[in-house]
Amino acid sequence: MTSRRMRTGASAMTAVLLLGACGGGGPGGSGGDFSGDKLVLAVLNDQSGVYKDASGPNSVKAVKMAVADFQKKYGDQAVVDKIDVTSTDHQNKPDIANTKASELYERQGADVILDVPTSSAALAVANQAKNHKKLFLDVSAATTALTGAQCNKYTFQWAYNTYMLANGTGTTVTENGGKNWTIIYPDYEFGQNMTKSFSDAITRAGGTVQSTIPTPFPNENFATFLTKAGSTNPDVIGTMQAGGDLINLVKQFNESGLKEKGVELAVGLMLITDIHSLGVDQFAGTMFTDAWYWNMDAEARAWADRFKAETGTRPTFEHAGNYSAALQYLEAVQAAGTDDADAVVGKLEGKKVNDAFLRNGEIRAKDHSVVHDAYLARVKKPAEVKEEWDYEEIVTTIPAAKAFPPAEASGCSM
Amino acid sequence: MTQSVETEAPVTVTGTPVAGRDPRLRWALLAVGLVAALALPWFVYPPVAMDIVAMALFAIALDILLGFTGLLSFGHAAFWGSSAYVTGLVATHYGVPFPVAVVGGAVFAMILAVPLGYLSIRRSGIYFAMVTLAFAQMVYFVAYQWSDLTGGENGLQGVPRSFFGIDLVETESFYFYYAALPILLLGMWAAWRIVHSPFGRVLVSIRDNTQRARALGYEVEKYKVMAFVLSAGLTGLAGGVFAINHGFVALTELHWSTSGEVVLMTVLGGIGTLWGGILGAFLAVMLADYLASSGFSGIDLVTGTVFVLVVLLFRRGIWGTVRHQWLARRLRRSSSRRSPADADPAKR
Repeated sequence: MTSRRMRTGASAMTAVLLLGACGGGGPGGSGGDFSGDKLVLAVLNDQSGVYKDASGPNSVKAVKMAVADFQKKYGDQAVVDKIDVTSTDHQNKPDIANTKASELYERQGADVILDVPTSSAALAVANQAKNHKKLFLDVSAATTALTGAQCNKYTFQWAYNTYMLANGTGTTVTENGGKNWTIIYPDYEFGQNMTKSFSDAITRAGGTVQSTIPTPFPNENFATFLTKAGSTNPDVIGTMQAGGDLINLVKQFNESGLKEKGVELAVGLMLITDIHSLGVDQFAGTMFTDAWYWNMDAEARAWADRFKAETGTRPTFEHAGNYSAALQYLEAVQAAGTDDADAVVGKLEGKKVNDAFLRNGEIRAKDHSVVHDAYLARVKKPAEVKEEWDYEEIVTTIPAAKAFPPAEASGCSM
Repeated sequence: MTQSVETEAPVTVTGTPVAGRDPRLRWALLAVGLVAALALPWFVYPPVAMDIVAMALFAIALDILLGFTGLLSFGHAAFWGSSAYVTGLVATHYGVPFPVAVVGGAVFAMILAVPLGYLSIRRSGIYFAMVTLAFAQMVYFVAYQWSDLTGGENGLQGVPRSFFGIDLVETESFYFYYAALPILLLGMWAAWRIVHSPFGRVLVSIRDNTQRARALGYEVEKYKVMAFVLSAGLTGLAGGVFAINHGFVALTELHWSTSGEVVLMTVLGGIGTLWGGILGAFLAVMLADYLASSGFSGIDLVTGTVFVLVVLLFRRGIWGTVRHQWLARRLRRSSSRRSPADADPAKR
């Protein structure tokens, strides 16, 4: 065991030294069009912790579906025969994500890294992508910094960001008559940013934010904050809580009697897995912005059926996003005829895309944000649920141009 | 109250050097350790190797408090993390060579440890652990809130690794390992010096019998604060190198789970053994690294099982058990009538 590890370690080291001796050690030395005569797609995400269900191992399967579709479509015409998909568990630890990303690019010949939830981990991987000049297509991290202040040439944000979530819900709910808002938010950066984006969107749509109520994070008991919010007589209570805190808040909102008084609840960040774990009855009537919903149209539904045959469950938007990112990456490689990162980036930039996940999608060249239609969803009442995972009713489609911030406002310069 | 806490203090065999009085064995072990440290990045991916050595110093620094002073700090992430942030900020804003930034981080950790230690050591045992945890949480939330400075949950990204313009060290993590290793080895040597100095003896006496140490005229509180500050300083040294190694600092470094992880490493290796922390860190980091790419989705299950097994089967930790067996064999061979347990106080 030890001797085997030592041998592989020693041989890897020799390889690195040889590379170094060859000069530069950069990816310049082209023995062919494909490094290692194959394409390696690496999924780096949380396979064992809190984000496991939202993305996790099933995203790896989604990426494998994309590879299969690509190979089926091009057959002998494909520019590369051997396509590997590997997966790594970053355990939600940014330092592990960072080391593993570097190792994937450097030692395991990864051409692209996909997914990477948790903002700090995603930003660290983006830095590794920049240093190694290899691609990183982020799906699960929501921070706008990826396509803003800390953007780079090799990093793309595929599915969503905090602006999209806040802007979609804030604008649309206000336009639909929810004029008076009170916002409850966890008092840290994510919550503060979301609250600011929400308030801007609400004011722009002609509504008013009567009060914003910060809460500690994490927090168990929201009774005081809900009472305080209720005393302002709002039409809508917006909450920026996420994960376990969101579940606590929603439970306590239901018990507070505010719902019976006609107060609506809008949620900043919610995933279909949250609804699944707490039960549709707890969330019934809640509004939130979704990047994609498996039952939103025939094309999505068809893909979701294939996904279910593969995994036994329905996909979240993160699963679909990973499929889309992998598929579009492969298409770009096909068009470029090489896995050279700069050539592939050239093929991706500015491309207009429609696939199982993206509707009216555009891979923006300016900030590498992939913009597409987003959806304001309302959680169904238990009586309306017809099958498993049938939780959402799409209220409005938010067109791509409105769903994401304009490229000029991103603050990105590459 | 102190009396009841005294019984909770970890039962360890301390004070005896590993190799007993045999200097040859001690030199041999030291040589093996140095060779292992130098060879590590050839067999382990260099950034991971750096993590192992940094974590090892972290565990050793904690052991000064836990094993040699009898204080279980559950808030050492505060020093590890705050040093990482200060190192990162100094490196980012002043562009100084990384050892300078690391020393800056360590100094900050020591300064922070003065008030925290002064207040915490008023309690011992589980109360001390809770107070340190509370302070660490305060530091965590300050970093969380002060996002202009720390980057909040996005972390402090893009920390440069500047080293007198030597390009290889700045870009290749393999060479960076050798540039940063002396800092950490120096820290380990300092820990060894502290523990084996007269000062260290006083710490052990405080651990074993606080009242008697006080009766002998030692200012127990002062010694405890000093041990706390020194431990924080070494922790800071390790945290700073860790930050430079990764090129960014995230809130996880200040999170209580980091405090827990280092306690786990120290216990795995063996409380009161000092060098056991190296084994504990190696095991914990390698396990997390190996399982990350194994495709197995129950990482916590494995690390938890290993921890339970070690605690059940090797109550003195890995290093502690090996050493205990070794000493017991020597004692048997010298056909002494004393049992190992009786032999301890004489050696202390």
